[in-house]
Amino acid sequence: MIEITDARKRFGSVTAVDGVSFVAKDGAITGLLGPNGAGKTTTLRMLYAVMKPDSGSVRVDDVDAVEAPQEAQARLGVLPDGFGLYPRLTAREHLDYFGALQGVDSGRLAQRTEELIDLLDMRAIADRRTGGFSHGERTKVALARALVHDPQNILLDEPTNGLDVMSTRAVRTIVRRLRDEGRCVLFSSHVMQEVSALCDSIVVIASGRVVAHGTANELRHQTGCDNLEDAFVALADLDPGEQP
Amino acid sequence: MSSRRTARQALIVCRKELKDSLRDRRALWSILFSVLIGPVLIGFMMNRLADRQREADMVRVPIVGLNRAPTLVNWLNQQSGVRVVEGPADAEKAVREQRESVVVIVPEDFADRFRASRPAPLQLISDGSRNDAQPSVQRVQLLLQQYAAEITSLRLIMRGISPAAVRPLAIEQIEVSTEQQRAAQILTFIPMLIMVAGFIGGMQIATDSTAGERERGSLEPLLVNPAPRIALVTGKWIAATLAAIASVCLTTVLCAQLMRLMRLEDMGIRLEIGPQHVGPILLAVGPLCLFTAALQAAVATLARSFKEAQTYMGVLILAPMLPGVISSLYPLGNSPWMYGIPMLGPFVLLTDVLGGRLPDPSTFLTSAGTCLVASVILIRITTALFRSEHIILGR
Repeated sequence: MIEITDARKRFGSVTAVDGVSFVAKDGAITGLLGPNGAGKTTTLRMLYAVMKPDSGSVRVDDVDAVEAPQEAQARLGVLPDGFGLYPRLTAREHLDYFGALQGVDSGRLAQRTEELIDLLDMRAIADRRTGGFSHGERTKVALARALVHDPQNILLDEPTNGLDVMSTRAVRTIVRRLRDEGRCVLFSSHVMQEVSALCDSIVVIASGRVVAHGTANELRHQTGCDNLEDAFVALADLDPGEQP
Repeated sequence: MSSRRTARQALIVCRKELKDSLRDRRALWSILFSVLIGPVLIGFMMNRLADRQREADMVRVPIVGLNRAPTLVNWLNQQSGVRVVEGPADAEKAVREQRESVVVIVPEDFADRFRASRPAPLQLISDGSRNDAQPSVQRVQLLLQQYAAEITSLRLIMRGISPAAVRPLAIEQIEVSTEQQRAAQILTFIPMLIMVAGFIGGMQIATDSTAGERERGSLEPLLVNPAPRIALVTGKWIAATLAAIASVCLTTVLCAQLMRLMRLEDMGIRLEIGPQHVGPILLAVGPLCLFTAALQAAVATLARSFKEAQTYMGVLILAPMLPGVISSLYPLGNSPWMYGIPMLGPFVLLTDVLGGRLPDPSTFLTSAGTCLVASVILIRITTALFRSEHIILGR
């Protein structure tokens, strides 16, 4: 479970996140939906403890991520914005490196690597260097790397961005599967269809604030729009500061 | 418990960085090339100088008409480093075609005139436009003058005159071979080469694992792991240091091989690098490698991009060169304070070790201590930079 309460973050004179609060529950896929520049990535960075909020609190499974960032990180699997793979390492070596840093013992790590290679259908690319990988293949490696230590909470920053249909489907399948295993999945996107197709609960964020929180139906109902896209536009418009 | 985990994580990072950089073939070749070019160049220059020195020491004197001047030939053969051979039939042609540096021709009337105590002619054929032949020509001229002086003395004594009367000057020629001097000067560059090798060896990992890691976007996923920043920075630092030490070993072995091949003792130069020197050299340079790697990592972390980091490295490389360059202009000597300066201390130690003087253990300790303290400070700075959101997530 991930809990963020009244988090704020400023960069100089720009307020990127302005009092964000929500809860992402175990056994559910929570979507973080918002236009570009709404503060999704900054919010996620505070959740996975690479950034400290100026104020407010972040808790991961009841661990304070501000006070004990490493303890929180041990419970998180993260696919950050931009995958950041090492082109000269193979897919398997990526899992070895991150698994070792997470403190997974070598026997368990080998077993887990095999599981993930099968789960993500990476057998053919497992021992190739990632330098020449396609976008879909890179996504798989980054996703496997995020899951190597079997984390309870999973944060995915725009994981399907730029993926083709087949790869997008594969990612969705994995995400659902993780949810069905009882994990907490938090998924950010600026694509409404993506979020409505996948998420049990949607947090709409605009100009660094949560403007709505609920299921897709609740959001439609709340805004009086039939179509989620219209609902999204209506919600994003709620904040006058957002529009030029 | 927690510090053991930190150490283990540092080791994991170190291993990954070494593996990663070993696969970067292009960077590896460029490091190898930059590290090897210095010793090879020096070896080449030394070899030329040694050749010339040997040529001048050992002179071959081709004489046309050997049997017309048996005493002269005898006398020449008794001089050390002189070998008289039968001269070529067409002496001028042989010299012009550079088959001989110098040829002496004894004309038919030499013996008659010599016996009659009249100036006996000798022809010395040489090519003044050939620089490389000059030492041989000068040597032969000098030999003939010496012979003439001896004959003069004998003739004067026979006539009851002291040879001293015709020697108004007693010129004592002190031979300072310029080749030898130049060789000694070139050798002062070896400590510098070793230090530069350490710098170049660590550079790739120090920049690629900091500025490069951020530019690739792989720093953020790395920082999501529950590892303290000090573990990550230390791992990268140690990897860069190990690469630097490997590069130092390579350069040292190469220099040692070159020195052996060139037989420096022929040139009266004492510079030996043998197996017994490996320990002291590593003791002198190892701590320096820790320091340069820490410096490179700190500077590269501050740089906004990989390119910028590389530009800074181009400037920083002057630091390990500085003591060598200064010492070739002004003799540095060695004062105790020098060992307390990170770049200078190892340089003075290396010069001592390579010059065949084993420095006092306390100087090793001083030098290593300062390098270590400076490294720890730099690593702390880098770790602080790794905590700054501003630095790690770009600006």
